[in-house]
Amino acid sequence: MALGKVLDPTASNDHDDPSPGPDAGHLVGKRIGFRIDQIWRSWDWIADIWAEKLREMGAEVSFWRSCGRSGAEGETMNAELKAWLGTIDMAIVGLANCGSCTGWTIRDAIASANSGIATVAVATKNFEEFAHVMAARGGRSGLRVHVLPYPLNECERADVDRVASDYFNGLLQVIGARQMAQMSAA
Amino acid sequence: MSIITITPSTHKPAPAPKLLVSRDCGPSGCAVDWLASKRVEADLDIEEFNRFAYEKGWGDGLPLIPPTEGRVRKFLAENDRYPDEIIALLPPSNADCTVEKIVINAVMAGAPTGSLELIIAAVQAVADPDFELYGVNTTTAPVFPAFVVNGPIRQALDIPFSYGCFGGAVTSAAAIGRAIRLIMRNVAGQVAGVTSQTTFGSPGRISGILLGEWEEKSPWLPLAERRVGALGNAVTCFGAMGTMNILDTTSQKPDHFLEMIGKSLVFPGGNCFSPSMPFGEVMVAINPICAEILAKDMPDIADVQERLWHHASVDAEWLQGLHRDQLQAQGRIRADGRIYLTPEPKDILLFVAGGLGGLHACAMHTFGSSLAQTRAISGVGVGAG
Repeated sequence: MALGKVLDPTASNDHDDPSPGPDAGHLVGKRIGFRIDQIWRSWDWIADIWAEKLREMGAEVSFWRSCGRSGAEGETMNAELKAWLGTIDMAIVGLANCGSCTGWTIRDAIASANSGIATVAVATKNFEEFAHVMAARGGRSGLRVHVLPYPLNECERADVDRVASDYFNGLLQVIGARQMAQMSAA
Repeated sequence: MSIITITPSTHKPAPAPKLLVSRDCGPSGCAVDWLASKRVEADLDIEEFNRFAYEKGWGDGLPLIPPTEGRVRKFLAENDRYPDEIIALLPPSNADCTVEKIVINAVMAGAPTGSLELIIAAVQAVADPDFELYGVNTTTAPVFPAFVVNGPIRQALDIPFSYGCFGGAVTSAAAIGRAIRLIMRNVAGQVAGVTSQTTFGSPGRISGILLGEWEEKSPWLPLAERRVGALGNAVTCFGAMGTMNILDTTSQKPDHFLEMIGKSLVFPGGNCFSPSMPFGEVMVAINPICAEILAKDMPDIADVQERLWHHASVDAEWLQGLHRDQLQAQGRIRADGRIYLTPEPKDILLFVAGGLGGLHACAMHTFGSSLAQTRAISGVGVGAG
């Protein structure tokens, strides 16, 4: 045995805010934004269905679509995202359904959470753990993540619509939304 | 929506300053300890150390050289960099990539001391936001940064640009490339199955691809000079999905070669045709024999790119319907009913390399949003290793 000292080759960023951010609270009159992308049609379909349900609950809904994240296109996207976050009270950010798209979903969700508004990232089951890892690496380990079944984008429209309906109440729970009935009881 | 052209962003990170003297006192150290890394006790027997490093997750499974203080200090002493100088923040960890961390990983990989400035320039290049390292390091794709080196540093470090330049030549380039890969693992935090979702990975994720351009055989200006006006030593990084060989034993005239290469570059599963990516580049190594033939007709390489680009397209009707519909919705099918590999001819990046047997071209397809970056390499260190 020849014991000696070696230098640790690793580095890490230990900054973390474990807070999930504020609850959504009651939704009447709230401005709720969906961050969608250009890859997952299933997420477009789910966002449309959830948007309609939220409108029925008295919320206003807007959409922002993430496209290229590099070059001048990326700068435009970053500016658009920042401006859009300034117009909403709550963000639903998706879809974490691959490697880079989970990365960018979480990065945009962290930007949203850091802006101080209620935020939930949406991930499919296979990428749930990865989403939490990336949130922690990004300094927001407590970021809310709502999980949809996997595989998802491979499903037919009718199956995806069913997922949208089945997982809507779960979304409200994860984001800390209070519905009118709960408010009356409180 | 419509075709989105590739335009560099305007906000570029400032390059790290090149300092004139090392703060390190050489292998024996000095009164002031500039090395900030945690000292870890380990058995320095090579087999025991490698078992230890394997358990720590420091390596790639291949043997590592123990990064003792002596080795790290010697490497630093033969260069002109402060060990605490921050070169970049590397995603997804967003940890500080200091000169010290670079050197520790370079020692472990067995890279020569004279390669430090090349590695630093490579790290700066991949850290540019336009390279989109965040996506590169997290994606399900097998992408990894490949590097093309220009300038006399190719000869100084024995970086191959001729026979076997993409892999297989006996060269220090493998150790230099591996050092960069270890930095990706240990500093950027890219670990398959944890922070990287890469479905298959790639052999390129072990020692990378690091080769030179055979400038002396190229009828055109060096790649780095054409891209950013960098004269002399420079490195260009490209987010490569792997290598694709293109054989042509029959062509005679320049346009025959370009038709063969262009048509070979297009396949529906390439990220350049993915609806998830608004654009993409492609990099092609032209062998010296073919380059000479092309240059007789096209002394301006922009003409080569233009003609190649026209061949590198597909009839949209050829694509699977759902795929085509998504690209149609994004406005990427042009008036002629075709989808082109890249937004513009300039996005086909060409350089000259390879053995004198000719016959083959070597392409590297893109991840998509990762845009090639070129950086000049600061003056090489005092060590000539």
